[in-house]
Amino acid sequence: MKFINLLKKELKELINAQMIISLVVVMFLLMAVGNIMSSTIDEVSKTEYKISLDDRDNTDFTKSIISKMKENGTVATPVDTQGDDYAAILKDNNLDSIIIIPQGFTEAIDSKKKPQLITVSRMESAAMMSNVNNHVSDVTDVIRGCIYEELSQRAGITQEELEYMSSPVNISDNTVVDDKSANISVETIMNSVMMKNQILPIIVFVLIMMVSQTIMSAIANEKIDKTLETLLSAPVSRSSIIRAKMLAAAIVAMINAVFYMVGFSTLMSKGMGSTINTSMNVEEIAGNIGSVGDIVSTESKLSQLGLSLSVTDYLLVGLQLFITIMICLSVSIILGALVNDVKSSQTMIMPLMMLAMIPYMISIFADVNSLPTALKILVYAIPFTHTFSAMSNLMFGHDIIFFAGLAYQIVVLAVCMFFSLRLFNSDKILTISLKFGKKDKTTNSDT
Amino acid sequence: MENILEVKELSKKYSKVFAADKVSFNIGKGEIFALIGPNGAGKTTTIRMIATLLTPTSGDAVVAGHSVVNEPSKVRECITYLPDEAGAYKTMKGIEYLKFMAGLFTTDSREIEKYIEKAKNINGLGERLNDKIGTYSRGMIRKLLLSRAVMTSPKLAILDEPTSGLDVLNALDIRKTIKRLASEEGMSFLLSSHNMLEIEFVSDRVGIISKGHLMVTGRIDELKERYNAPNLEEVFERVVLENEIH
Ligand SMILES: Nc1ncnc2c1ncn2[C@@H]1O[C@H](COP(=O)(O)OP(=O)(O)OP(=O)(O)O)[C@@H](O)[C@H]1O
Ligand SMILES: [Mg+2]
Repeated sequence: MKFINLLKKELKELINAQMIISLVVVMFLLMAVGNIMSSTIDEVSKTEYKISLDDRDNTDFTKSIISKMKENGTVATPVDTQGDDYAAILKDNNLDSIIIIPQGFTEAIDSKKKPQLITVSRMESAAMMSNVNNHVSDVTDVIRGCIYEELSQRAGITQEELEYMSSPVNISDNTVVDDKSANISVETIMNSVMMKNQILPIIVFVLIMMVSQTIMSAIANEKIDKTLETLLSAPVSRSSIIRAKMLAAAIVAMINAVFYMVGFSTLMSKGMGSTINTSMNVEEIAGNIGSVGDIVSTESKLSQLGLSLSVTDYLLVGLQLFITIMICLSVSIILGALVNDVKSSQTMIMPLMMLAMIPYMISIFADVNSLPTALKILVYAIPFTHTFSAMSNLMFGHDIIFFAGLAYQIVVLAVCMFFSLRLFNSDKILTISLKFGKKDKTTNSDT
Repeated sequence: MENILEVKELSKKYSKVFAADKVSFNIGKGEIFALIGPNGAGKTTTIRMIATLLTPTSGDAVVAGHSVVNEPSKVRECITYLPDEAGAYKTMKGIEYLKFMAGLFTTDSREIEKYIEKAKNINGLGERLNDKIGTYSRGMIRKLLLSRAVMTSPKLAILDEPTSGLDVLNALDIRKTIKRLASEEGMSFLLSSHNMLEIEFVSDRVGIISKGHLMVTGRIDELKERYNAPNLEEVFERVVLENEIH
């Protein structure tokens, strides 16, 4: 089969050492980042805090507070410092943070005034994970709790009464989706679906960019090397040339999709996943109502609300992803044909990039359905929007919007395919060109 | 003599200008025909129309009985085309390229082997065929592409400036190959070139084209006689200057 011959050639061009290496590197990076995040978080989530503490007051009261902290699992390493040059204090003692109980602390408490508790933390970056090792605020909470307990005991309040007073009500959160309701809070749902809902847009975005770039430079290169002319004058049908190019790019895109999917899921489940669990653990420890049972039953609560996706739903999402990629391919073929040098092929990707960027941003920050009508129509006119909002539309039962979007994309695909086929069947593929800042070809006769 | 190619008033208009204007000529079986003309005269345009890459604005060309306008896919089975300054897929090995191109002309694997064998004999690249085309010199690429263009023994091989950018020895080699294939196998050639020496050596007949008009066609000795010129170069000069005055 001549088509197989063409397809094999296209695949060989696309699947080269460079592509495989970059794929492996990306995978490796995603997984490594996931692992780093989860190990940082694991460290953090250990309930035992270590902190340096300078008790400058040094009274029976402060000593009893410190020993209470120890009972609660917070180890305070005593340090001895002077003055209020905090930068020097951190530097001299080689510390990243310190808590100082100043002189007169106990006196102020005894006279029912609010004493000061001094904390000093070093800040080196504003990255999300960089300050995660700083336990100062956790420890001040513990100290506050210990003082609270101590004062309560002085006032003759028992431990049970104290526990009751710190959390006098149990809150029963309920969420309603359409006409279904479940005993679960909106935050818990957000935490568990956010992960799934964010992997898809990232992958869609990466794929759109990659696929367009690939096929665009493939076409541009064939034009520049004039191998396209050789191909087009050979006894093979022009549609099979296009089909081979598109299929090869789609296959490579799908291989990439799988790899990225695995990479991002690892990142999300290891990294983000443990963040969520950590916050739950901390709540439990703090003695709040969140219990293990709640977390386990989240999945069943989600399906009770109709929020979990069925196998059919996933297939539909996959189908839509495929159509999206095909749209990209056929548009990129047209754009690639406009290009006569490699440099302008990078410019030609801009329109596609914008079309993917807008719905991508919106899908992260807002719900398309809640936009003002005019804007909503505009955003939905971008075919890629439907891919980005597919998951959420299926999840929240906006089936009509989903299927309308799918139908719209199929129409767009048909139109794009029609034009790219027509382009290949006419001599326009060889004669049209957009030149950026260059003279028109008709005016200079020396080719 | 049986005509392999009949070009009838072939024209191509780009926006306002006619790059080829009512070009007509014939090529017989086993004949080597060369289009010569200054830069921008319309040689490549004419050739691309015959190679079914450009749609003529008017007129037609018939290759082995098939019209380029009405049955381009039939025409493609009878021709091969070597574009000027063409490259090849840089990441492919020479041998892979030949195999890929052969696979576009036939699906019979024995036939493919035969084509590759023939191409090997013609290009003389030997062991280098197992290297990536990206590592080839210009002359090697040209030889590879030429061998590709003739390996399938097309009825008409269309070669746009087949020896441009090659050294004397390589160019000579390619000219000899073309002549041999025409006389031994009866292949017909349509060439374009700027090298008058080459044309005098290789072609049976020439057509001089200028500003889209095919001014004259004929055997080289005929033309020399008609224009009373000692060589083709002077014939060319007179014909082109004559057209400039008009
Ligand atoms: N795609 C195009 N769009 C507009 N004009 C074009 C296009 N291609 C070629 N032309 C014009 O057509 C005329 C003939 O060009 P052509 O390439 O056929 O010349 P040529 O005889 O092959 O020249 P050379 O010897 O330099 O290769 C030129 O004036 C050229 O500028
Ligand atoms: Mg030319």
